[in-house]
Amino acid sequence: MSNRAKLFGALSLGACLLWFRAAAEVPPETVGQVAELPPMAGAHWLWVPDRLFRHSILFDGDSGRMLGAIDSGVQITPKPPLWSHARKEIYNVDTIYSRGHRGERKDFVVIYDSRTLNVKGEVEVPPRAADTGTGIALVGLLDGDRFLVVLNQSPGTSVSVIDLENRRHVGEAQTAGCAGVFPAGPTRFGMLCGDGTALTVHLTENGELDRLARSKPFFDVIDDPVTEKGVRDGSTWWFASFEGLLYEVDFSGNAPAPKEPWPLFTENEIESGWRIGGAQHLAYHRKTKRLYSIVHEGGPGSHKDPGTEIWVYDVPSRNKIDTFSAPNLIAPFLGPQAGFDATGMLGSFLSFVLPNMGVHSLTVTQDERPLLFVRHSDLGAVGVLDALSGEHLRDIDEAGLSGALLVVP
Amino acid sequence: MSRLDRWFEGLTRQSARRLSRRHWLSRFGGVLVGGATLPLLPVARAAEDNAMGEDGVRGREGDPKRCEYWRHCAIDGFLCSCCGGSHTACPPGTEMSPVTWIGTCHNPGDGKDYIISYNDCCGKTFCGRCMCNRNEGERPLYHWYRNNDLNWCGGASAQTYNCSTAVVVKTAQEAQPER
Repeated sequence: MSNRAKLFGALSLGACLLWFRAAAEVPPETVGQVAELPPMAGAHWLWVPDRLFRHSILFDGDSGRMLGAIDSGVQITPKPPLWSHARKEIYNVDTIYSRGHRGERKDFVVIYDSRTLNVKGEVEVPPRAADTGTGIALVGLLDGDRFLVVLNQSPGTSVSVIDLENRRHVGEAQTAGCAGVFPAGPTRFGMLCGDGTALTVHLTENGELDRLARSKPFFDVIDDPVTEKGVRDGSTWWFASFEGLLYEVDFSGNAPAPKEPWPLFTENEIESGWRIGGAQHLAYHRKTKRLYSIVHEGGPGSHKDPGTEIWVYDVPSRNKIDTFSAPNLIAPFLGPQAGFDATGMLGSFLSFVLPNMGVHSLTVTQDERPLLFVRHSDLGAVGVLDALSGEHLRDIDEAGLSGALLVVP
Repeated sequence: MSRLDRWFEGLTRQSARRLSRRHWLSRFGGVLVGGATLPLLPVARAAEDNAMGEDGVRGREGDPKRCEYWRHCAIDGFLCSCCGGSHTACPPGTEMSPVTWIGTCHNPGDGKDYIISYNDCCGKTFCGRCMCNRNEGERPLYHWYRNNDLNWCGGASAQTYNCSTAVVVKTAQEAQPER
């Protein structure tokens, strides 16, 4: 090769390198971009409300990625966000005070656009929305997404009905002695009562109180009460009692129709000390008719204790069909705080040596390949399991600090 | 030196470099190790078990700053004794809610059962100290006055929840259902 050819080659190579370098430069970007959610909610999305941060985070259960969040008021826990897929709106019932933590109280149904998560409206409701440590069964979106029901405590009990189509508070109905909101149709919802009965609240087509219809007493409030942490399929709700009886209540008729309960535990299991327990301790997958129940070994008074096992039942045959292990969520909680990878060797080691504190709450997605989400109320991490096999797929870390709710949109 | 020792040493040095002395994990670790070890010392344990506490009860069951305090059998919340108040008084600047839930607790000092009123203190946000949840005789939401999940500040003029007290109402006619 001649010297001129070598020089030409070297110059060409230099030019190419300069071109590549220039091409690799990051172009200037636009300031002011804001992300939006996809048009439809994902089948594996999950809300994780937090008591201390006072917001609810939306996660993608497949990737563990945070998608966005909505704020709440200053109640003990954010109430579960309610998602109208038809109207593409999210509703959150918030309590606020005129001076932060003091001053005049006002309660609102805050309406969010479900793609932008911007507030697009609000409806003021009576400043009596009930507030609990768990946030379970305090609000309900009735079928058809027109009416939203809020349980009140002042300290007497009542419910507020909100017409979401017309953006107005329809009215307040007295439901003395009953609590919980269990949607069962477009204009009806159930409640559980202090005399061991259930109540169906019927609304008119405009959302006003039509009538109340009460069942006969079917459980013992003192000796073996059912928890208000029920699960639903259509107009049927299931509630578990402290001693492990599963009650099925049909709210499709005029008055609630409870059926004979069946035991979640065998006599041997009861003698071994197995009990239901936790906060949101039941979940139900409608297509497979599987019931998931958090269980632990304990005594009377342990009905809010977390459990390290999840027992799976086939509801039609009333059989226990599987046992899942709840993951140890301490390492995924500590990892981001302490700067170690919870999925690495140290995380695995800690999960092995540290005691498993168990989980208080669980929920399941309703698709063909369902995920089971679990959390301990005081560990800011969510475990993700395959709801069919029980395989521990991943953990979602930095999911807040405290809370008992898990909500599938 | 074994590989495990070297690994732990490396981990400790790495952690010491990364964490400030005031980082919460350092404190958490200290509490975890120190807190778990100290009570095992026989002198500390014996002293605590024998110390005369409130209501003529010895040990932890007589200490209103402990979850084990006998009156706390159905409490759910932050203990006002740890928050600037006591088991019968709210912290400064808060207000005691007049309506509340009740429990029936057994006093090991005199062997009697007492009705305990767990009045919430309200008007400031979470105290955040000495969280305690015990559920002996606790009942679900629809059995209001036996339910400890509720924010009982609903009866006060300001309804933000701060902490919970445990006030004796009177002796009980019968023990709680679980006993």
